[in-house]
Amino acid sequence: MPPMAPEAMDDAPEDLRPLPLPCSVDENVFARIYEENCGLLVSLAVRKFQVPTVDAEALAHEVFLSYLRHAGEVRDLHHWLIGAICNASRYYWRKHGRNIEQLDTDIAAERPDPRSRNVLFDLPDSIALDEVLERMPPRWAQILRLRYLDGYSIKEIAEQQGVTSKYMQKLVGKCLHRAQEIFNGMRARKDQ
Amino acid sequence: MTHSDDVEHLAECSACRQRFAANVVPFDPAARRGREREFTSVAGRLERERDESSDVVARYLRDTPTDEWSRLAEMPDLRNNAALEQMSEEVRRRLHRNPREALAIANLSASIAESLAPSQYPSVVLAQLRGTAWKDRASTLRYLARYDEALEAAERGEEALAPFASLEHDRAVIRMVKGMILAQQERFEEASVILSECRQVFSDHGDRTRYVQAGLAQAGVMYESNLIDECRELLLNLLPHATADGDVATQAKIHSNIGYCEMRRDAFASANIHFSEAVAGFTDLGYTSEVARTERGAGLILVARGQLTSGLARLRDARRAFIAAGMTEDAGLCGLNIAAVLIERGDRTAARSLAQSIIEEFTAAGMNERAISAVATLRDAIDVDGATAETVNTVHAVVESLREDVRDATN
Repeated sequence: MPPMAPEAMDDAPEDLRPLPLPCSVDENVFARIYEENCGLLVSLAVRKFQVPTVDAEALAHEVFLSYLRHAGEVRDLHHWLIGAICNASRYYWRKHGRNIEQLDTDIAAERPDPRSRNVLFDLPDSIALDEVLERMPPRWAQILRLRYLDGYSIKEIAEQQGVTSKYMQKLVGKCLHRAQEIFNGMRARKDQ
Repeated sequence: MTHSDDVEHLAECSACRQRFAANVVPFDPAARRGREREFTSVAGRLERERDESSDVVARYLRDTPTDEWSRLAEMPDLRNNAALEQMSEEVRRRLHRNPREALAIANLSASIAESLAPSQYPSVVLAQLRGTAWKDRASTLRYLARYDEALEAAERGEEALAPFASLEHDRAVIRMVKGMILAQQERFEEASVILSECRQVFSDHGDRTRYVQAGLAQAGVMYESNLIDECRELLLNLLPHATADGDVATQAKIHSNIGYCEMRRDAFASANIHFSEAVAGFTDLGYTSEVARTERGAGLILVARGQLTSGLARLRDARRAFIAAGMTEDAGLCGLNIAAVLIERGDRTAARSLAQSIIEEFTAAGMNERAISAVATLRDAIDVDGATAETVNTVHAVVESLREDVRDATN
């Protein structure tokens, strides 16, 4: 039997082609790109991924520099820059030994796992609460602290984090689920 | 393409971008201005180099004997980003028709990139240059089936990028090549994981073209791993992206591959639709050889699945398309595929007549005498009733191997 269309495997991958920049060299254009997006990229690294501000500035700068070799092929500047800073932030934490899971939309968060149902009653009863939060990615822990220890509303936390209330609701669900998993893991180890 | 909801939204909504960036993060304005100056000055420099170096690589390659290309690494006007970008393009152009030359250029490029002064560009740009050069070498070695060396080159590229968090896109480009190499080494699980990660990174960056490329490669891995349903699902996912990209050739390729999946699922009606879509796409583009190859692939699969009548129809269409495109050798090989089915069915008269036609076509095209005599042997065997489908397949293999020999000699 012949293999599937061989070109699927045999074609050379597209390379980083040296396409011309989208406009003739005008350093003002690049200055504007930097000015208009630098704050956003730093904010994303700091607020979404808890990257320390100094490192976030450096990451954003690197993203801009790396963009220069791709400028000719980037079709949507904002999409590219935002994708780059998010991936850079994740890589930053991978290098710094912390596993940052992406706080993305997850349908499961809208339909909470039944195992998470009693988490609010179980966790406060347990002296392991701090330990659970300690083991969570910093942003997740911060969200849970704000919601359940400091008493902020979903709307307030959303405003503080710069996301929509709907999205924050999903994040809280996901954070709770993760907290429950960590808690269950700790309990299982203690039982052994 | 999905991302975090809010990130996806931020990419599209300038009001929310401003709101998100407006508060919270304090910064040192002087330091930020300094960085901005560095950014604009590097941008200007790269572009000036591009302006000043147009066609410099093509000129040097044209004026220098191939076996002396390695010495070009010392030429001052080749030791910059613009020249390295041109070398990468030269590698890409030669990969199919002359992979050995492509490799010589990739080696030259790696040698220059590795020896640039650290002060010439910011370290992140230098890392990109090195990564691309090693990726080109990896691609070329993969093309030459030197997989261990190709893997080594890809890993050198990854090492060059490793210190920089911001180079995930560049890293994914190298890892896509690595995934393809692993796939060709039949390390399907590793390949699939890598290609899937690459797709995610390309999706995050809005790089639809590479997203589809990585997806096609991963679909190939799934197909080889017999994960036909998953493969089909992935290909169906890729289709709208290729459509949005306006890439008709890739759409046709995806349709063709979905056709193969449908065939494996015994969904022959759907397979026919997808093969027809592929043929229509390639026809619109004027890719006559791709039309013929698609028809032949579909025909062979149909025959293998016992759908002899529709399989023969596809193979006959393919043979006609090969003849129309002046691809005599492929037309002959396709004719031999048809002859095998005819003999299997007991239609020796038609098989003999077809063998005779192939001999005449090969002779008229001045093809290799051994190929002609192999087909003549088949015709004679049919005459004495001694030919089986196996005999035809042996002749097919002989003709094909002669072609491979010619290709090897050319390279």
